Amino acid sequence: MLKLIVIKELKNIIQSPKFTATFTTLSVLLLLSFYIGINEYKYSLEQYNTATLLANDRVKDTRSWMGVSYSTYREPKPLQYLVGGINNDIGRYSTIVHSDEVKLRNSAYSDDPLFALFRNIDFSSIAMIVFSLFAILFSYNAINGEKEEGTLKLIFSNSVPRAKYIIGKIVGSWLGLVVPLLIPILLGLLLLLINNIYLNGTEWLSLVSLIFISIVYLTFFIALGTLVSSVTKSSVASFMILLVLWIVTVFIIPRVGVMSAAQMVEVPTISQIESQQDAYSKDRWQIYMDELSDKWEKRRAAMAGMTDEEKEAYEDDMSYAWMEEDDKARKQVEKDIADYNQKLNEDYVKRKIVLEQLALNFSRISPASLFQLAAMNLATSDIELKHRYEESMREYKNRFMDFAEKKQEESGESGMFTIKMSSDGGFKLNDGRQEGGLDVSELPKYVSPKQNYASLLNSIILDSVLLIIYSVICFGIAFAAFLRFDVR
Amino acid sequence: MDSNIENNNKKPILEAINLSKRYEDNALALDNVSFTIHPGEIFAMLGGNGAGKTTTINLFLNLIEPTSGDCKIDGVSCVSKPLEAKKKVAYVSENVMLYPDFTAMQNLDFFIKLGGRMNLSKDEYKSVLKRVGLQEDAFNKKLKGFSKGMRQKCGIAISILKDAPAILLDEPTSGLDPKAGAEFVNLLKELKKEGKAILMSTHDIFRAKDVADTIGIMNKGQLVMKKKQSEIHNEDLEQLYIKYMAGYMENAA
Ligand SMILES: Nc1ncnc2c1ncn2[C@@H]1O[C@H](COP(=O)(O)OP(=O)(O)OP(=O)(O)O)[C@@H](O)[C@H]1O
Ligand SMILES: [Mg+2]
Repeated sequence: MLKLIVIKELKNIIQSPKFTATFTTLSVLLLLSFYIGINEYKYSLEQYNTATLLANDRVKDTRSWMGVSYSTYREPKPLQYLVGGINNDIGRYSTIVHSDEVKLRNSAYSDDPLFALFRNIDFSSIAMIVFSLFAILFSYNAINGEKEEGTLKLIFSNSVPRAKYIIGKIVGSWLGLVVPLLIPILLGLLLLLINNIYLNGTEWLSLVSLIFISIVYLTFFIALGTLVSSVTKSSVASFMILLVLWIVTVFIIPRVGVMSAAQMVEVPTISQIESQQDAYSKDRWQIYMDELSDKWEKRRAAMAGMTDEEKEAYEDDMSYAWMEEDDKARKQVEKDIADYNQKLNEDYVKRKIVLEQLALNFSRISPASLFQLAAMNLATSDIELKHRYEESMREYKNRFMDFAEKKQEESGESGMFTIKMSSDGGFKLNDGRQEGGLDVSELPKYVSPKQNYASLLNSIILDSVLLIIYSVICFGIAFAAFLRFDVR
Repeated sequence: MDSNIENNNKKPILEAINLSKRYEDNALALDNVSFTIHPGEIFAMLGGNGAGKTTTINLFLNLIEPTSGDCKIDGVSCVSKPLEAKKKVAYVSENVMLYPDFTAMQNLDFFIKLGGRMNLSKDEYKSVLKRVGLQEDAFNKKLKGFSKGMRQKCGIAISILKDAPAILLDEPTSGLDPKAGAEFVNLLKELKKEGKAILMSTHDIFRAKDVADTIGIMNKGQLVMKKKQSEIHNEDLEQLYIKYMAGYMENAA
């Protein structure tokens, strides 16, 4: 009998004109999200490859290991184009240079603001908005609609246990919504293959998990719809209630979560921090320059009354000491600035972590947030993405700088500026360049941070389990309510 | 007369025993109603709107619980063993509602299998649909285009195919055109011959008189009159009906 009820429910969904219309729309949107994702990925990959080559060329063209600068790029990953997350909000490269912090710059959105318009067309956003709507559209009248139609009374004039009926209905409507949905999803995967998008083993597993999580997310809304339709009398009422719940869970909570948490902990924005850092560095260099001119003032004063020949001899004597003194002062400035920046960054990171945790935990009451968080983790476009890359680029910077220093020693460069003061005033810099380009063949390679599937799985376990628990609770309440439902 | 003797020897299929039902709002919708219906007997329940006819039928289907009393189908209590009792009863509601996106055949297939008859052929479905007078071109059309009478015919077909010993009909002829109404009367007579026990609520006094073995009149939850058809054949049932209704009101006043 269970099978009979399941099949009835399944057929009832698939045969309805409502299904044809919504399923077609849903399929088109899903395929569109795959299509756009694939093209964006290909384009970004091309950009990435060109940029990396150019960066290597630039190093080749540099003539001195001293003050050499390099750029490391964030390699685009295919899943990040199915689950955008913060992928397009954060920078795509960092310069690796002695005098500057490692910092991701130039996000896709800052590059092309028009691009931000398409923010909501990736697979995860489509799934988040459309899957939930789709599920609600088919479950809002699951129980009370059958009562309104009068079929429930005829059904229970037969020897049908209520528990069996509600279970059959839930299973049937689940199959009726999920199985057809697999068609556009499989077509989307086919699009990946046709376009020769390479996914490694971990990425395939993540993709399968992503699909699984979207189905769990859909299941939650089927459960919610069934629940509401079994505790309300009319399907109009349950539809209105579900619409409100949908707006709250999909649009409001994920946003309010971040906003309310932001009020709890005051965190300066990145641009505030940057301007603070810029201001400090400007002041510090100003002090350095003032001190430097004071020093030269004194040095010139010491030479007052000397003949030109004496002056030259004196300068020759002193030049090394002066240079060392100036260099020491310059290094101190760099160190001070670096220390200051680090302190600000650490403060920022600490407060940001607190904020993020609060916001995330709050927003976890919404299944849409749970889905989004899990999807972002799987696609590695999560909020830690920036941190991960900057960390690994910082580590790379150390290797790179060590390498450059070693090279510099081998080539016998002094590694120091010589600053000449000509009598017509002004400085003359001499950094002892090497003729011709640099040999980059031994340059250490930058590799993107890798995540294995176990750690990905670990990062989504909490959110997935919560999502499943939410669904089970809703089904449980719907089940209990139906046992007491007045079927007349 | 023969049939009465026969009936008394058999055990009843449908039994209402001091059945009372008080709804949450304290209105006594059914007040100590008792009757029995034997195999091959048609019991017609007459009564004004709100008299308690549908309530009685709902109690047999265990869609509501009685406040006191019991009702049995083929000896099985509908209150304590509803699932077992419901195996023995077929039901047609006053406004048959089926799945609008299913065809007549699909609806039949689902409800008949739900009723426990898994092995009927499509031809059997079709012959019963023909028997209840549904036009053949509608067999494979979706229900949402059906008129009330066409839906009613499908509901009747479902109840016939369930082949249960008891049949509950709540105003089954409402919405049927005169021809279909007459055909339905013939159908009832055939079912009676097959030995079904039939409880039918109706507002159609003339058909009730034509087809029923026993006629009951309900008023404000009470079964105010119950007579064999043979006992009233010379009286005008309409007069009787009005008399009982009025009489009850005088008594109540
Ligand atoms: N769910 C309910 N809650 C409260 N009262 C109800 C409920 N259902 C029926 N009643 C009341 O019970 C009484 C009997 O109703 P019932 O539906 O049995 O009448 P009926 O004889 O079938 O009438 P009709 O000929 O209009 O179909 C009426 O007074 C009605 O108002
Ligand atoms: Mg009624």
